[in-house]
Formats: sequence, structure tokens, C-alpha cells
Amino acid sequence: MTKKKNMEETAMTEASAQSIVIETTTTEHLKTRLEDIKSINGVIGYILRNAKSAAIDLKDPTKLIEYAVLSSSALDAAEELSELFSLGEVDNILVEGKEVKVLSLTIGENRISLFLEKNADIEKLLKKLHTF
Amino acid sequence: MAENDMHAVALKNALEEIRKTCQNIQHAFIFKEKGEIVVGDTEIPERVMLRVVDAFGSLLEKAVPIGGVESVTLTCSEGTLSFQVFGEHYLVTVTSPKSNLNYLNTLTRILIPTVLTILDKISPTPLKKVPSPKDSSQTPSTSTENLTGNEEQVKKSDEEHRGDVKPETSTTEPQAIQLMVEDFEGSRIRGLLKRSDAVYVDNETVKLWEDMFNGKKIEYVEIETLNGKTTRCKVKPIKDLKYSAKGVVQIPEKIQLTLEIKKGELVLVKPIIE
Repeated sequence: MTKKKNMEETAMTEASAQSIVIETTTTEHLKTRLEDIKSINGVIGYILRNAKSAAIDLKDPTKLIEYAVLSSSALDAAEELSELFSLGEVDNILVEGKEVKVLSLTIGENRISLFLEKNADIEKLLKKLHTF
Repeated sequence: MAENDMHAVALKNALEEIRKTCQNIQHAFIFKEKGEIVVGDTEIPERVMLRVVDAFGSLLEKAVPIGGVESVTLTCSEGTLSFQVFGEHYLVTVTSPKSNLNYLNTLTRILIPTVLTILDKISPTPLKKVPSPKDSSQTPSTSTENLTGNEEQVKKSDEEHRGDVKPETSTTEPQAIQLMVEDFEGSRIRGLLKRSDAVYVDNETVKLWEDMFNGKKIEYVEIETLNGKTTRCKVKPIKDLKYSAKGVVQIPEKIQLTLEIKKGELVLVKPIIE
């Protein structure tokens, strides 16, 4: 009985360790991908956040807090609205402002927001984000 | 319902047309800046609508650094929610995953602002109550304690105008209000339950008339079309709360044919005091 329990515990620890490794890899991959994306014309910056870390790169750092709050609000609203209208899993939310548009999405544990100029190609960026 | 009933009816019709064109719309409604729902799907519970308003309210507040929100598109595995800002009106549409969003967005971005612009041009102020078209100078007022500023003004001009025509009536003269023609709503059964010789006006309006004439029961009204055709018919209150303060008059088909009017047109409705 004790042996079985020990085996289960070991398996759980291994699985958890594996998940952390995958998560870290995913986050690292995402960071790399976002760095690539940032060089694309029309991309102002990004915020990548998870429970343990955050990576922020914005052309105008004075707007950092305001953009972070907006990013968080957009993703929260997305979850709330998806639940209210039974829309299933959230793919992404695009907030178009008069000057800037914000594309926010969640990949695994990572919450991502891309800040873009009005003419930026959303489809192209989404494709790039999802191909890793 | 919104403060401006005419806007609400026109926007409702516009939304219905959009829904007819885009079959994949699951929900569609319009609300205003302060969270007041102008036109909404009757099947969406109000508490859901309020949560939606809250969610967008928070987003709108935090979107100041990006120049305010023009639109929001939420893409999910089982559908898409689109939120568009038209001045002080916000449109929300929920569509199934395979719907053509570009087409829908193009349609709404043209239709809703057009309707709003036209409405603003023809009725910059609420159209629910307007004075009878014949009005002009000023005279002293009578007891108007219970009336609002607008109603008082309407009443004054009405009194002035008719004071010399019907001196025998009380100090308060019947005032015409402008309402939009509606068919008997819903099922045929519901229509059959209503009188074919009577028009139906919302309960609040009937009560307002009765209050104005010291509780006198209003049994008849005069309907005047924009082409000048008039008829006198019985009036009954609409008890359905859905029509409360909506600015509509339900007219039986037969009377509509006689007056050569149809659903959506405006008529002047004036209570008859006997």
C-alpha cells in the first residue's frame, strides 16, 4: 500500500516537474517569438505575463502602467463575456482604440498583449504567435 | 427603455433588419454610456446585460491611453462577440463561429450611424410628447403644478390655441402626442384577444391623460396622420410592461387601412374629453 502511494507521489512529482519544464520552455519560446514580432512594422510593444514573471517591451515606457492595466482588463472582460454568452474557450480579444489597437490572448499560463498601430496585420501576428 | 423612445424603436427596427440579413447573429443589443439599455434581446436576462455593461464599462474606462475604444472583437471557440461604439450608443452582437464578421461589421457600421444621424436630424430632442402642430403665441398659464417643464409648455401652447375655440372646456385642454404605429404584436391569438375597434396606448400615457383631466376616464382618442387624415376610436391601455413608455400606439389593421398608414409611421394621438 505504502509502496503504491510512494509510486503515485513520485509520478505526480515527475509530472509536475515536467509541466514546469514545458511551461518554462513555452514562456521562453513565447519571449523569443515576441521579440521577433516586435520588429514587425506596426508593432508598438508587448506585455507577457504569467504567475511567476513578466516581460514588458514598449516603445513608450511612460505608458507602461496604463497599458498593463488595459491588458489585464481586456483579458478579464474576455473571460467574463465568454462565460456570459457561452462562447467557449477564448482565442483572443482585440480592442481597437482611436490611436492604438491591443490584441490580447492567453497561451497556456501566459497572458500576452500586443500593442499595435492601427494598420498592423492581426492575422499575420496571430499566425506568428501560434507557430512554435 | 431609453429616454428617447423614438430612437429606441428606430434602432430596434434597424437591428431586426440586420438580423434578417445576417442569420448567424445569436444576440444583438444596444446600450448607452450610462449602462442604460436602449434595445435588447428580450431573451437575454437583465442581470446578464448588466454584467455585460459592467465588463465593457471597465474596459472603456481603461482604454483612455489608446484614445478610447472604437470597437472590441472577442474571438472564442464557439462564437464571436463584437462591440462597436457609435457616439454614445454601444452595439453588441454575438455570432456563431462561421459567420462573416467583415460583412456584419460593414453592415452595422453603415446602418446604425445612418439611423442615428437621421434620428438626430429629425428629432434632436425626445419625440415622445410633442405639441399639436398648430401652436403659436403666449398667454398666462393655469394650474400646472404637477407637470414637468416640457409638458407645461405643451399645455400652455395648447390652451392658448384652443382657448378661443372651445371656451366651455376646463382650463386643461387635451394635448396631442406623437406616437409610432405598431401592429398588434406577437401571435395571432394575442391579436384576436384585442378589440378591432380600439387602439392601444401604453398604460402610463393613459394614466397621464386621466390625471390631467382630474381622473376622468379617457375612452376615446382622435388619431391624426401626417397626411391630415383623422379618425376617432376607442382607446385601451397596453398592459404589457414591455411597451411601457415606448411611444407606440397599436392600431388594428382595419383602422390602419382606413387611415392609409402602416407600422413604423408617426401619428398624433389626442384624448377626447366628453
